[in-house]
Amino acid sequence: MRILAIDSATPVAGVALVDENKVLCEEWVNYKKTHSQTLMPMVDQVLSRCDCTVSDLQAIAVTIGPGSFTGLRIGLAAAKGLALATSKPLITISTLEVLAHNVCYSSCLVGALLDARKQEVYAAFYDVQSAYPQILSEETACSPAAVTAMAHDLMSQHNRDKLILLGDGAEPYEQYFMQEFGDDLLPLPMQYKLPRAACLGSLAVQKYKRQEFEDVFSLRPVYLRLSEAQTRLGIGEI
Amino acid sequence: MRDVTILGIESSCDETAAAIVRNGQQVLSNLIYSQIDIHRQFGGVVPEVASRKHVETIALVVDQAFKEAALNYSDIDAVAVTNRPGLIGALLVGLSFAKAFAYALGKPLIAVNHLQGHIYSNFLEHPEIEFPAVCLVVSGGHTSLLLMTSPGDYEEIGSTRDDAAGEAFDKVARFLGLGYPGGPAVQKAAEKGQAGVITLPRVFLDRNDYEFSFSGLKTAAMNQWRKIEQGQPGTVYDMAAEFQAALVEVLVEKTISAANQYSARNILIAGGVAANQELRNLMKKRGKEIGVSVYYPSLQLCTDNAAMIAGNAYYSYQKGDFSPLDINAHASLMSW
Ligand SMILES: [Zn+2]
Repeated sequence: MRILAIDSATPVAGVALVDENKVLCEEWVNYKKTHSQTLMPMVDQVLSRCDCTVSDLQAIAVTIGPGSFTGLRIGLAAAKGLALATSKPLITISTLEVLAHNVCYSSCLVGALLDARKQEVYAAFYDVQSAYPQILSEETACSPAAVTAMAHDLMSQHNRDKLILLGDGAEPYEQYFMQEFGDDLLPLPMQYKLPRAACLGSLAVQKYKRQEFEDVFSLRPVYLRLSEAQTRLGIGEI
Repeated sequence: MRDVTILGIESSCDETAAAIVRNGQQVLSNLIYSQIDIHRQFGGVVPEVASRKHVETIALVVDQAFKEAALNYSDIDAVAVTNRPGLIGALLVGLSFAKAFAYALGKPLIAVNHLQGHIYSNFLEHPEIEFPAVCLVVSGGHTSLLLMTSPGDYEEIGSTRDDAAGEAFDKVARFLGLGYPGGPAVQKAAEKGQAGVITLPRVFLDRNDYEFSFSGLKTAAMNQWRKIEQGQPGTVYDMAAEFQAALVEVLVEKTISAANQYSARNILIAGGVAANQELRNLMKKRGKEIGVSVYYPSLQLCTDNAAMIAGNAYYSYQKGDFSPLDINAHASLMSW
């Protein structure tokens, strides 16, 4: 069973080819934001290195959000193009869950945070005591202060004394979170901080086994935010 | 010669469109999902909202284009897509989808200049067009005069210094309270009024070149309208008629003098503003007077559509001029 995993939701672009329980190839770049130029050449590289074509795949997986609006659309449009052309099923995973999957078998509370601009982050908290993350809070766009309050609540509620924060939303507020949590906040080595296409692939395999597929014709990204024009005019979801 | 069937994809503004065209001429399907009702409530196209709708509907529109043409995906020879100019976020959706779709099918990708596509709309319906041709491209984002010496060969001889013609229509319609989109709204109001009752300047008409300026015309209209609101005589209908006449007259006279200077065989009008009836009528009349036939697309092909993209790509296909997977989208025209 081969699944191609595509992620361009954040400044990182990643493409991975995974087999049932093997990562066959992963391309990952965190240098300049030109996903529209780099993503499809990366797909081509990953597939050709593994002597594979899109037709050989069992499914296409993509991060569905939250993240950069444009980045999400580049990834989803590409995934739809590949899936439609070859009639392959489409699997989607939350960008925050992919991030949280960088850590497993830990009793720490894990917070996945992505930069949402305007002094906010996209955030969700996870239990990672097993191999796969279990979500504890709803995905939301909120202030770093709200993240702190949520983390304190969840730590006492679930009896956790250590916290891990990952994602590019944690970086700008690192000093602030260190002040708030002191030694209870565990710093992660750099290779675990950003979303990995291999983690997306791993979660996609689980969904494939449960046959949880999306409709290529109606699927839209999870933005967690309306456009500014909609907010300004009080126009809801369109 | 073997038939060449091309899928076109267009998402540069607020229409998600897909079409299949054979040999640059035969339109097998031409699907347009318009978002105009969504953007009307904002009083104009909201780029983020447009991009969101594009990514939601693109697969459906493309699939529908194949169903209407009664073709399988693998029956096409290439995938053409608009990559410039336009709203960057909107363009990126179509381009990303097109790259992936072409790649998965193992077909070549052809990136198309949207404005060349508009010009090509004329050739879809009129293969008899002869060169050299002078071409007026008028839309919400662009106003240019081009000299076309052969298929796919364009030289810009003039363009707007500020607002595009369509943009001027939108802005004037807004302050006259005529609604959105501005072009059709002003045209409709103008039918009930008369040009010349109010007088507006023919900006740049006295200049001996092919440059345009519409921001001055818009300001003059705004000043006149303020006086009318303060009690001076005049109606919104007369204002709409005079504004349209002033804008159209400059477009037409500059095009006619270019046609004379370059000994053009034909005059072509292209772009959204080519739908304007006053522009069509006056150009036709003036063309007749100087003995040059005037072409413009049917109303259906004046709007953004993908048939024009698939059609224009046929030039590139014949030359083997294909685009690499790392090609980008651009908000600006870049080059002709
Ligand atoms: Zn257009």
